[in-house]
Formats: sequence, structure tokens, C-alpha cells
Amino acid sequence: MISRKIKDTLTQKLMFSFCILVISLAIMMISGLYIKAEPILEMKSIRELLFSLVWHPYRGNFGLAGFIAGTLWVTIIAMSMAVPVSILTALYLSEYAPKKLRETLNTIIDILAGISPVIYGVWGLIVIVPFVRDYFMPLFSNNLNFFPFISNNYTGFSALTAGIVLAVMVSPLIISLVNEVLKTVPLEIREASLSLGANKWETIKYVVLKKSWTGIIAAIILGLSRAFGETIAVLMVAGCALNEIPNSIFDTAYPLSALIANTYGEMMSIPLYDSAVFLAAFILLLITAIFNIIGWGILIHSERVEP
Amino acid sequence: MRLNYLLLIILFSISTNFVFGQVKDIKNHITLSGAWAIYPTAVAWAEAFQKKYPGVKIDISAGGAGKGASDAIAGLADIGMVSREPDPAEIHKGVFPIYILDDAVFPVINEKNPAIKHILKKGIKKQALIDLYIKKKIKRWDQLIDSNLNKAIHVYTRSDSCGAAASWANFLDRKKQEDLRGVGIYGDPGILEAVRRDPLGIGYSNFSFIFTREGTVIKGIKLLPIDSNENGFVDSDEIYNSRKEALKAVYAGRYPAIRKNYFFVKGKPEGLAKEFIKFALSDEGTKIAEKVGLGIPLGKKEREQVLKSLE
Repeated sequence: MISRKIKDTLTQKLMFSFCILVISLAIMMISGLYIKAEPILEMKSIRELLFSLVWHPYRGNFGLAGFIAGTLWVTIIAMSMAVPVSILTALYLSEYAPKKLRETLNTIIDILAGISPVIYGVWGLIVIVPFVRDYFMPLFSNNLNFFPFISNNYTGFSALTAGIVLAVMVSPLIISLVNEVLKTVPLEIREASLSLGANKWETIKYVVLKKSWTGIIAAIILGLSRAFGETIAVLMVAGCALNEIPNSIFDTAYPLSALIANTYGEMMSIPLYDSAVFLAAFILLLITAIFNIIGWGILIHSERVEP
Repeated sequence: MRLNYLLLIILFSISTNFVFGQVKDIKNHITLSGAWAIYPTAVAWAEAFQKKYPGVKIDISAGGAGKGASDAIAGLADIGMVSREPDPAEIHKGVFPIYILDDAVFPVINEKNPAIKHILKKGIKKQALIDLYIKKKIKRWDQLIDSNLNKAIHVYTRSDSCGAAASWANFLDRKKQEDLRGVGIYGDPGILEAVRRDPLGIGYSNFSFIFTREGTVIKGIKLLPIDSNENGFVDSDEIYNSRKEALKAVYAGRYPAIRKNYFFVKGKPEGLAKEFIKFALSDEGTKIAEKVGLGIPLGKKEREQVLKSLE
């Protein structure tokens, strides 16, 4: 009898300590990054670090604005393509598609969600880069000569290319998350709506989406934070050019995550360089954490409001 | 349940192995860490060294020049492999850099460049490359090379911090990688592929990636000849179509964009580390480096100089 009790306490303690370990890892990471980033924060004002465009560590210029702008451009382009496509796909799959098709497509989407980023990167390099260079850019620069389409970059390595690759990468994730959200909408209220004479689209618009919009927003934010932190696929196709802020979707972009991957291994022995790269990592972590917290906050809130 | 425990224990012991595994018998064991560019040559040296002195163990890991430098400074590795010039901050921390290998960086263009014949005949002056890469004054091909190719130059550079970009910038006006303009591409193969696909492209690459196993320039790419003596056209010793010709120019000191690779040791090298460095710089070591073909071994005179500085 006693041995059973001991076992129970032991397992409980063990699980608890692992739980603490995992949580402390997150704290260790945040504090570790901050400690490493401190030398640069002491030397330069936050304003200069965040808003200066010039990145030239050997001359003491540590402006991260270009990288932050690059991250934002790439993410915004990716999300503006991925979100509508993903939501409509998920709606079709859960509301319209016949069972067999739904199951096949869901499997394919799960496979897509599991492919490693470097494969998306290589695919972007050999397919999307030439496509953007040979078709997209000439088409847009000839016909739409205004913001955000004007650019003198003709190489195909651009914010748009990175955005497309990212959109393809995060879409499966958003689709399957939205799918899960839509599954939680009870069948009965759909039936009630249909029995009142609403057609399918009206039911989706006034009942299904109304009931699930918070969950969908949370799904989008989770996809967004994935897009934010994605490194290798973006690095390969964004055309990371230094000291330039993209003014157009066809300009090159240099996201924060790419900066870290590009410089860290080579420069970690040079004190302030190293510290500036840690600051970039810290900013990236903060932004991702904030988006995640918002996402989960919305989810939890919606669960509480509508039990 | 029991299986889970077992798994946990196994996982834990494996991970601790990684953490504490570095403590080993120091007497006949040295560790190297650092640049990818030096790694293959170092591995070949280590293999031969271990064969020569059985019982000696050499561990080599690659992780970038900065990792090599910081490992050497922190004492985590006996030798750090660094494929760029040492930074003053690193010397200040007690690093003793040992010049161990050469590498060369070559500008490349696409074979199908519309003005290719003209370019190969006239070559390019260093100042024009500076105006293109650093000063951003040159934007079109007809400005770079006196021709009627009125098209934009698609300039490619390396996005990742690397010795190739550092030495290319250093060759052009003693600048740093951050001064180079252009669309950033990851890795030597990446930049070569970008230029190979872009008739209006220009890039630069490490020596070892430009040539095939047979020693010819890879398909679709031409080496852009640098008009070193500035006489307005390419002399026979300024154009290289094979690995052999390029190597010859490097050895003769005619090719300008050379980059030095270093071994970083904390303080003057001693004991086994010193023996290993001596071996790398010996005739035998030179032959091994030649066979690997990823770096360019030093000439005899330079090797003797370096060996002298060790004493």
C-alpha cells in the first residue's frame, strides 16, 4: 500500500520538477539574451538602436531599423497572402467538401505543415525567384508604376519572394488550426440556421464565423509568429542587402532572424558585434512572445465568454 | 511507465555526455574548432597526424570562424580555425594567430553576358570594382566596362558573414563586408548559382568553389579578369581558365585578392598543439592540403617564416 503511495508522490514530484525545468528554460533564455545584449544597450540609446538605419558594427553603427522593417515587410506580405487563402480553404474543407476529399486534403495539408523549412527555401530559390524575376516584376513595373511596386531590383531575390515562400509555409498551419476551430462549432446551430431558411453561405457568414472568429484570429496570430521567426527559408530568397529599407515589395529585405543566422557563428568573438546580434535575438523573442500571448489571450477569453 | 523512465534516464545520460564529454585526457588529445573553410583540410591533417603518432587523438568541429576564435579564447579548444583576419579585440584577449593557409577570392560573371567577349578582352580595373561594390557610383554595364551594354548590373554579395566577403571588401579599398553593396545570397554555392542564372549578374566566390574536380571553371561561369597592371587590356597572365593557371598566379603573387586563414592559439602554442601546427606547415602537410584542394597551401618561404615565429 505504502509503496503505491510513494510511487505516486515520486511521479508527481518528478513531473513537477520537469515542468519547472521547462518553464525555467524560457526564463533562462530571456534573461540570458538580455544579459548578453546589455553591453550594447549601455553604449547606445534604445532609440538609436531601433530607429537607425546604418548597420556597420566595425564603425560602431548598430542600427536595427532596416532589419525590423525587413521582418515587417516580409511578414505582412506573407500574411496578406496566407490569411484569406487559408481561411477560405479551411471553410471549404469543413463546410462544403465531401468527406473523402476532406480527408485526403487534410492529410496533404498535414504533410505540408511538417516539411522542413530548408526545403521550402530551396524550392523558393529554384522556382519562385526566377518566377518573380521573369514574370511578376516585369508585369508590375510596366503596368503599376506606384508604391509599393516601384523598384530597381531586378534579381528576383525580394521581399515578395520571401513573402510567397513564407505564405506557402504558414498556410498549412493556419488551415489546420482554423479547421480545428471550425470543428468546435456545434452542428446543431448550423442546422438551426439552415432550418430558418438561410443558405450555406449565409450560415457561414452569420453563424459559423460569428461563433468562431476569436479562434480564427488566434490561429492567424500563431501563424504570424511562425512567420516572424522563420529564418532559413527567408534567408535563402529575401536577398539580404544591408543598409536599405525596402520601399517596395520587389526590394530586397533583410529580416532580423536572417541577421542572426548570417552573422552569429562568424562574429561571436567580437564583443559588441556579438552583443548587437543578441539584442536582435532579444527583440525577435519579445515580438514573438507578445504575439503568442495575444493569440492565447484571445483564445482563452473566447472560451470563457462562450462556454 | 518503466519504459518511459528508462527512456528519460537514457536521454539524460546522453545529454550530460554532451555537456561533460569535453573533459578528457589532455596529454595526447587536442581539439580544433571553427571555420568551415579550413575544416576539410584540418581533418585531413589530423588523419595523417594520428596515423603518424598512434595514440594521439584529435577532435575537430566546425561552427564558423567566430566560434573558432571564441573557443580558442575561452580555452574550449586548443586551436581555433579562423578564416579571416584577426580582430584587434581578439588579439587583445591573448590570441596568437598562426598563418596557416591561403585562399583566393575571384570575381565571377555569367558566361552569357551580352558583352562577354569585350569583357574578357578588356578586363576590369580595380577602381571600377570599387566604384561598383563600395562607392555605388556605377549602376550599368557600360559604366563598368567601356561597351555599349546599356543594362543594369545585378550585383550579388554574400549575406552571411564570411571570409570571402571580408577579404573581397579588404581587397577593394580596405573595407569591411558591411560596406559591400548588392543582393545578399547565402553561401558560395548560392552566389555562384545566382550568377549562373543571371546573364547580367556579377559576384565573387572562394577559389575552391569555382573549379570542378577536373580543374576547369564550373559551367555557365566565367572568371572576370582583373586588369592588375591597368594597361587597358587583359594580359595572358591576368586571365585564368583553369585551377592550375589560377593557382600559378596565386603562388607567383600576381593575383591580388588573397585571403589568409589562421589557427588561433591562446598564448604561444605548446606541446601537442605545436607539433600539430608544425606538421600542418611541413612538406607533408602541404602535400595533404594540396590534395584536399580546398585551401591553397603556403609557399616554402612563408612556411619557414611562420615556423620561425613559433619558436
